[in-house]
Amino acid sequence: MEKIVIQQGIVLSESEKKEIRQNRIYKILPVVSIILLSALWLFASKEVLGFPSPAETWERFTQLLEKPIKALSLWGHIFVSLQRVFLALVLSWIIGISFGILLGWSEKCNALFGPVFTAFRAVPPLALIPLITIWFGTGEGPKVLLVFIGALMPVVVNTQAGMRNVNKLYLDVGTIFNATDRQKLFQIAIPSALDAIFAGVRTSASAAWMVVLAAEMLGAKAGVGFLIIRGMDSGDEALVLLSMICIGIVGAMLAVATQIAEGVLCPWTRKGSN
Amino acid sequence: MPVDEKRVKLRLENISQSYVVNNKVFDAVSNISLDVYDNEFLVILGPGHCGKSVLLNIIGGLEKPVEGSKYLDGEKLTGSDKRIGMVFQKLALMPWKTVMSNVEFGLQMASVEKTKRREIAQQYIDLVGLKGFEKSYPSQLSGGMKQRVGIARAYTNNPEILLMDEPFGQLDAQTRYAMQEEIQRVWYQQKRTIIFVTNNIEEAVYLGDRIVLLSKCPASVKQIYNIDLPRPRDTIEPKFLAIRKEISDNTDLAL
Amino acid sequence: MSDGKELKEDYKVEVRNLTKYFGGLHVLNDISFNIKKGEFVCVVGPTGCGKTTFLNLLSRIYMPSKGDLFIDGASADPRKHNLAFVFQEPSSIPWLTVEKNLRFGLELKNLDKKIIDERVEKIITLLGLQQFRNSYPHQLSVSSEQRIIIGRAFAMNPDLLLMDEPYGQMDVKLRFYLEDEVIRLWKEWGSTVLFITHNIEEAVYLAERILIMSNKPTTIKEEVVVDLPRPRDVADPEFIKIRKYVTEQIKWW
Repeated sequence: MEKIVIQQGIVLSESEKKEIRQNRIYKILPVVSIILLSALWLFASKEVLGFPSPAETWERFTQLLEKPIKALSLWGHIFVSLQRVFLALVLSWIIGISFGILLGWSEKCNALFGPVFTAFRAVPPLALIPLITIWFGTGEGPKVLLVFIGALMPVVVNTQAGMRNVNKLYLDVGTIFNATDRQKLFQIAIPSALDAIFAGVRTSASAAWMVVLAAEMLGAKAGVGFLIIRGMDSGDEALVLLSMICIGIVGAMLAVATQIAEGVLCPWTRKGSN
Repeated sequence: MPVDEKRVKLRLENISQSYVVNNKVFDAVSNISLDVYDNEFLVILGPGHCGKSVLLNIIGGLEKPVEGSKYLDGEKLTGSDKRIGMVFQKLALMPWKTVMSNVEFGLQMASVEKTKRREIAQQYIDLVGLKGFEKSYPSQLSGGMKQRVGIARAYTNNPEILLMDEPFGQLDAQTRYAMQEEIQRVWYQQKRTIIFVTNNIEEAVYLGDRIVLLSKCPASVKQIYNIDLPRPRDTIEPKFLAIRKEISDNTDLAL
Repeated sequence: MSDGKELKEDYKVEVRNLTKYFGGLHVLNDISFNIKKGEFVCVVGPTGCGKTTFLNLLSRIYMPSKGDLFIDGASADPRKHNLAFVFQEPSSIPWLTVEKNLRFGLELKNLDKKIIDERVEKIITLLGLQQFRNSYPHQLSVSSEQRIIIGRAFAMNPDLLLMDEPYGQMDVKLRFYLEDEVIRLWKEWGSTVLFITHNIEEAVYLAERILIMSNKPTTIKEEVVVDLPRPRDVADPEFIKIRKYVTEQIKWW
């Protein structure tokens, strides 16, 4: 017969206990992989020439806190990179969403601008770096411009898709209630497309982060990308590795932040269905 | 109701509809003429999926027929009209709006001022028995509740004719029975002309004053039945079952 | 119901004290019933009566908190036993033709080609699908698709065939036709069928026995034997009596 365990008033059978054990394992596995990764790191640092160990990296981190590079602490550099990103992002959202709505809603605009935009979209922003550097130099402006271009694409594409995929049924409801075209656009189409627009926003955030690093690596006096170059130039692998870890963490935090924002602004996507 | 007291609210004359699908012409509706009387509960019944929904879309102004015309109170209609409201089968509640916001929608489109909007919408939310759910989102409601929101929304613009396109089609049998009683109650309290489309014969006999039976595609009027049973009707009572059998025998099978 | 004189081997399917908790939520409570080989049993219940959970337990998506489901005396195991399902939405495979869809389940069980051919032919004839052999599911109507799924399920000669409101969304006229068809298939193949529905008329039309579920925590409220000759007549006073009775037991609205 089955053994029945009573846990805080809840009755579990053998088979259910097995299920719970399995679920616990799923929670542990990520931790296991992090431990494995760290072990790999240690191994690499011992075997590969010049690869900094976790201890050395940590030491470099504490050093950096005391002795700034180019008059900026680690946080200072991160802040500089983020600043560029935010400026470019906000611009790309304002312009990108408007343009995307236009392309998605108006057949004429889509026919007029669509093909050109698709062609332009195919060029990765990184490929524009040489051109922009030649035309605009290596100041703040061109960097922000580059990030702006990189972030713009996903926003427009996703917004446009969201607008084109508005459920015809909702527009029919508008027709039945005699809504004007303008009302249909603002009351039905745009709210309906919000989740797609947000997908674009999320993608643009990670795209922006990647582009800013590339832009910095090719000529900057501050920023996390700059730190990497600095580290490479002076053979300071610990600095390079440290910077990469920071980049990863900040990138992840950006992703989480946008997801939380979506949950707040679009509550209907989070509510559970019956 | 004696014949001379019945007033024609909506008249359809020679309505036909066809579509071009993959370079082939597909006839959905073929030459339908129909009179709908004021404040009657008219049921349109038909097999399969073409015909009745298309007819309803045409009445509601969502589609233009290739032939034929429609008259409301004697006046010719083109396209949609404020006086005709609709409850959709596929719910069509906007998921990003709360219940109150959804119900208010029609009033919002008509630019009715906010407090007045709230007041009217609340009235109908109460009427369909959803008081207390004003701030909920559609995803939090059951199927029956969502349909009630759709009904409340259609009523707010005070339509003279209410179109209902298989509104209970997605519900399970028992919720459906409950909703049938519900729509009957609502109709008693706020009498309108209702044109109700269904593919369920039992539902048709339960609800309708008259039943228009359509043939299978291309749809034409096969027969019109007058249902003289007193309300509320009993679905297992012999006369009810007899009428049901008569209509069922006459219905085309659409496999 | 079982009495001591009947041997355990008579029962194809046994459900003993089936209970399910989700955390503190008591969904199913001590459900026990038996199904004889080749019997057609309907399960009806009020809306929200935990029927989905019940199904998920029978199909082994979840495991029960207490009690279990036994097939031929052993705990039901999808690997060992032959369980077939038909759901509310047609679950045909879109990239296979009608004929290939019908063969699908049988091929998965690695049966002999001759047997597969024979069974598939039988189904095609019984359902009248000869002209649709090489069509794809999306070219057919929803009801035809569903008929194929049902045919496929019967062709598997399952130990237990579970059907969850397969005709839920269909025309009433079509429904009667399909119900007659499933009875035809059942008589032909002698499968053991558990048919879940909300439609009481359908249950009385199809079942040899009806199990009536209660509200949550769900248990079997009552078993009703339907001993009417086939084909059944919905207007027959006996039929109406049984239908009225079952409705009274369930009525929640």
